[in-house]
Amino acid sequence: MGPLSREAWAQRLGAFRASPSAFLAGAEGEDLGRDLLSDLRSEKLSEQTKVSLLTLSLEYSDKLWSDAPAAEAAATSLLDTLALLPSKPSALRRLLLLAATTVLVSGGALGPTSGASCRLLPLLLGLASGRDMGRSFGTTSEQRHLQATACECLGELERCKPGLLAGSLGMLRSLLGQMGPIQPVSLLLALVLHNTLAVPSRPGPGTGLQGLLVAGVSSTGSCPWDWSLAEEWGAHLLPQARSWPTSEEEHGSPLLEPSPEEARELKAAVAQLLDTSYLLTPVAQAQLLWLLGWALRGLRGQPPVVFKPQLVRLLGTAQLTLLHSVLALKAAFGEALFTAQDEALLLRRLTLVAQHPALPSPTCLFYLHCILSFPENCPLGSEGEEAAPLLLGPQLSRGLMPSVLHDPMVLLARLHLLCLLCADAEEEEEEQVHSPQWYLQELLAGLQQRAALDGGPQALATLCFQASYLVASCLAGQPAVCTSLIHGLAQLYRARPSLAPHFVDLLDQVNPELREPLRAVLQQEVIARPGKSESLCWHLRLLAKVAEGDAQRATISFLQAAAVHCTDWGLQQALLRVCCSLLRTGGGDGLAGLLQVLARQLEDADGRDHARLYYILFSHLSSSKLGMALGPSLAAPALASSLVAENQGFASALMVQETPAPIQLSVEPQKAKGPPLVLRLQVEALEVPVYSLELRFRVAGQLYGPLEAVHIPCLRPGQPAHPLFLPLQPRRPAPARLHVQALYTTPAGLTCHAHLPPLSVKFADLFLPFPQLPKGSELCFFDDRWNSCLPKGVESRMWCPLGPQGLEALVSQHLEPFVVVAQPPTTYLIAVQLPPDSMLLLRLEKAQADGVPVALRTDNWAVLPLAGDFLRSLAAH
Amino acid sequence: MAQRAVWLLRHEPGTALGGTVKFSRRYPTVEKRAKIFNGKSYVPVPEDGPFLKALLFQLRLLDDDKDFVERRDSCSHINKSPVYELLVGGEELWPVVAFLRDDMIYASVPLVERALSPRPSLISISGVSQGLELLFGIQDFLYSNQKNDTDLNTKLSQLPDLLLQACPLGTLLDANLQNSLTSINFSPVTQPQKQPAWKVGTYKGKPQISISITEKVKCMQYGKQDIADTWQVVGTVTCKCDLEGIMPNVTVSLNLPTNGSPLQDIIVHPCVTSLDSAILTSSSIDTMDDSAFSGPYKFPFTPPLESFNLCHYTSQVPVPPILGSYHMKEEEAQLKITVNLKLHESVKNNFEICEAHIPFYNRGPITHVEYKVSFGQLEVFREKSLLVWIIGQKFPKSMEMSLSGTLMFGVKGHNKQPFDHICIGNTAYVKLHFRISDYTLTGCYADQHSVQVFASGKAKISAYRRLISSDYFIWNSKAPAPVTYASLLP
Repeated sequence: MGPLSREAWAQRLGAFRASPSAFLAGAEGEDLGRDLLSDLRSEKLSEQTKVSLLTLSLEYSDKLWSDAPAAEAAATSLLDTLALLPSKPSALRRLLLLAATTVLVSGGALGPTSGASCRLLPLLLGLASGRDMGRSFGTTSEQRHLQATACECLGELERCKPGLLAGSLGMLRSLLGQMGPIQPVSLLLALVLHNTLAVPSRPGPGTGLQGLLVAGVSSTGSCPWDWSLAEEWGAHLLPQARSWPTSEEEHGSPLLEPSPEEARELKAAVAQLLDTSYLLTPVAQAQLLWLLGWALRGLRGQPPVVFKPQLVRLLGTAQLTLLHSVLALKAAFGEALFTAQDEALLLRRLTLVAQHPALPSPTCLFYLHCILSFPENCPLGSEGEEAAPLLLGPQLSRGLMPSVLHDPMVLLARLHLLCLLCADAEEEEEEQVHSPQWYLQELLAGLQQRAALDGGPQALATLCFQASYLVASCLAGQPAVCTSLIHGLAQLYRARPSLAPHFVDLLDQVNPELREPLRAVLQQEVIARPGKSESLCWHLRLLAKVAEGDAQRATISFLQAAAVHCTDWGLQQALLRVCCSLLRTGGGDGLAGLLQVLARQLEDADGRDHARLYYILFSHLSSSKLGMALGPSLAAPALASSLVAENQGFASALMVQETPAPIQLSVEPQKAKGPPLVLRLQVEALEVPVYSLELRFRVAGQLYGPLEAVHIPCLRPGQPAHPLFLPLQPRRPAPARLHVQALYTTPAGLTCHAHLPPLSVKFADLFLPFPQLPKGSELCFFDDRWNSCLPKGVESRMWCPLGPQGLEALVSQHLEPFVVVAQPPTTYLIAVQLPPDSMLLLRLEKAQADGVPVALRTDNWAVLPLAGDFLRSLAAH
Repeated sequence: MAQRAVWLLRHEPGTALGGTVKFSRRYPTVEKRAKIFNGKSYVPVPEDGPFLKALLFQLRLLDDDKDFVERRDSCSHINKSPVYELLVGGEELWPVVAFLRDDMIYASVPLVERALSPRPSLISISGVSQGLELLFGIQDFLYSNQKNDTDLNTKLSQLPDLLLQACPLGTLLDANLQNSLTSINFSPVTQPQKQPAWKVGTYKGKPQISISITEKVKCMQYGKQDIADTWQVVGTVTCKCDLEGIMPNVTVSLNLPTNGSPLQDIIVHPCVTSLDSAILTSSSIDTMDDSAFSGPYKFPFTPPLESFNLCHYTSQVPVPPILGSYHMKEEEAQLKITVNLKLHESVKNNFEICEAHIPFYNRGPITHVEYKVSFGQLEVFREKSLLVWIIGQKFPKSMEMSLSGTLMFGVKGHNKQPFDHICIGNTAYVKLHFRISDYTLTGCYADQHSVQVFASGKAKISAYRRLISSDYFIWNSKAPAPVTYASLLP
């Protein structure tokens, strides 16, 4: 397809600009970049059309050639087109240079491996230095025009790859003194100087600062551009206009200390730049000052007095960027450049321009912001916080006071200043007429008056509330102001209840010191109204926000009266929302009655169901649970039935959830004390606190009697394990497994239950000693028992192997409490009671080194195998 | 210091979208830097359509202004500066510098060279002032000599080329777009050394300098015991210097007569090379005393080629030029008004135009009016509820005149009478419009003989002066009136 005509291109470009993403996603999107580049060379298109093509590529190069290979190809094509241009003057040359630069940077293709970069850089440097680039780049006069463009392109490359042009410092410096446009060279030199100074150390010989600055155009050895430096500083871009406070950013840049020769050269270069700065446009002068100021800031031994002559000239300026750059110098150097008198003068000038009637409003507002963020020599407050500077007193700020005649933005900005002054003012001045505090009250009253006008625009009401919020935030510590503000707002509500949404929003945003009293006053205000009125919907809306559960009967009476007039669904829902608020915050006298009435009498079935549900919840749940259940829930879509919407919210809150156990239960070693049998357990919380813990135990089969549940009010992780005593009533002396279930409440209020791992009750846990016998009768007691076992019981003999520790140790470790007669080290007579009513008797006699013969007798034959296992297990320990 | 994008939007109330994008320009190299500097808090510059919608919403220019919308109307969304945060595509775009002037919205997004959260303070972002300056430059270019709409469209079509010249890669080079226009068409044969960047070419022709002083007087007169009347003069000195040479030096002196009121709050054009410290420190913040510096005020400067504002000043003259009183009372269904005007004897009694506008807000159209004027004529605009008292070119010999009248109003209509939130109840004002040529209230004049020109040839010097009223209000003394803090000081 041949090149498109002018109209076709105009149409295509127009469609692209209307929505670039849609165009590129469409059918024609892919080819746009390619067609654009190729049609630039077409002879059929006029220069004007080609200009529009290039303008588009300048603006959208990141969308058209978004990755490095595409950008590289595009830039190469553009440079080829540039080379092919006929030698007569053409507007395209400049645009092609700009486009090639933009494409390379935005596509991320700029680098030593990029062929286009390696073609572009020498071209730009040649044009910038005023060298004759040959006929292919146009006439000499056109090349001079291009000098400025080349400097601008180089500047952009340097900004995106700081350090790239460090080697050209000398060349740029020598250019300053020559013929040619002064501004592009000055700005480029200042930029490269700033970047070079911003990073302290560089490797390599002859790259000291002095060398860089002094080197002529053709310096041996050092290349005018240096990829290695740019790569070294890597992906870190350097802010050209460093913003302050910069505590986080400064840590990486230590103070650079140049040698005396370097310092001299540097000072000369800076002075040369500043001396000719009056030849730059005001915005360029501002950029220059900002760059040089923050470049020199990091240097030791470079007093900033070199800026003084500029300051004298600039303090009287009307120009925004220049005054801003003066403030930047103040922030950079502080006392080193501005004495206390200078600071006072600067602040006065700033105050003067912030209220100057000849300056446009956006400028004045910016200056007002600068006053509140003024970089003081000795700041008292914390950095970054807006505060009235110390030197700004009531006298100086007289002309900066707000009035209702100002437009909203100016009024709020000046109101902020007034609040800060009031906050600083002494307490005694408060009640004086014409004091700032008095004026503040007058102003607020005026705003409230205007917001109360019926039919007034939304903006007026918004302004009043924004002003109230601002005052409340700044002057929370001044009760007189807050009280009068609250009264004013109450009056405002009285006059215009339709502002209820604003009041709700204010209550949400404002600080707690004001929220509570305001809420209380507004609640009083609302319930003092008659139940029937056109503003009932607003009253209910506000009441849903301000009603609290411990409200007096008056609130309930109001609601009862209002219920009669709630004829449509919307009003009924609003009424129910108030009830919901009351439920959530504690209830209140008579709420149950009201809910019953509503459940019967509301017209809408949905409303009646809703009221009934609330009534049920109110009567069944504790207040804290109720508060949690009715709290805001995540799932609350706008459904037709409000009941369903609420259901979804608290259904999950009321259900008992099954969860893995957050507690650990274990059996403690038993210290048998005597009947009844008590199992000692300990329980601890693992990660989160657990409340109202109830442990339920169950034994499979009928082995034990029913076990009671154990209640623990609270368990916290980190605390020592809580001991538990579980009385057991075995029906037979047999070991068992206890199944344990835990029911507990989480800190969030949800009730959960969990199954715990089963606990084993071992045979040995069932042992109980016989009661203490009088001395001397033990043997007799034992023999009686021994004889009584048979014939009903059973006898057995076995060999109990002993471990290395011997019989004595074994007995003392496991059987101590049950020993009746002891003749150490060889003979022990042991009697164990086994609930409910069995016993086990052991005779350990004639012990030998490796074992002891044991005679057992028990009156319950089922115990025998258990006893045998027990004895065998003893030695195994 | 750079801008990521610039827009010019036109507010068109009543249309579907509420406005159109007249011009936009994006800078991809700056956007790339933004991505790196802002890191995780980076938000890309949106497309034109979504940006327009979001900005119109934020500036409250969309028609659906009736209901409370939390995003826009919440009390904590306080805008105290012309820098906004826009919600576009679910993300917060900040900072957006924007302002509305004459139905045109000027907007730009400056580059912030660090992470955006926590939000850096505006004073530390150099792009904010550079962006504002660019937007002011566009505004000046579009509206400086504009006569009609076609003119505006032509200028709009020149904007893309101008911005290519003045801000090719995102960093602003010159806010004076007229200069850029000239330099596009201008091809010098040789580039002289030390040619300032703010001067394109040189002048060739007869040397001449014209200095014109325009003073605007604002006034709030209350006619009440406990509230002080306030007035202020704001002066602007405009120069046009047609001189040969690259950097001609000129010094202009502003002088005051013996009883003239000192000039204060003097702010100067960047081409002024130095300022006397007395000029620098004379300000309206200080209490007046007799030792205040009262001239001559010398301004040495090297002028640009075009007409420029050499300096602005304010001054506190002892009396306002026209003293007045306004009484308005509501009696049953009628409104009775009395207006008295008196010209101060020191003021030159020769007007280009002198009128008093008497509006009646928040009422219906005028249905009936009876009046008596001692001088001049009264024009009645019934539908607009406005009376215009045309005084003419001279006050009578007595220097005083009065108007008294009775009015009745009809039922308030829908859109003819806009809502005014200041003039509620009986709060009302008379606004004076007048112009006196060849006169200044301070007495300030540029002494033609003391203009020093260090250039070749003797320059022809012409000086002009005029006084214009700006916000000149006389409030109804029978009702509360909005006061400023200055009125309340003892």
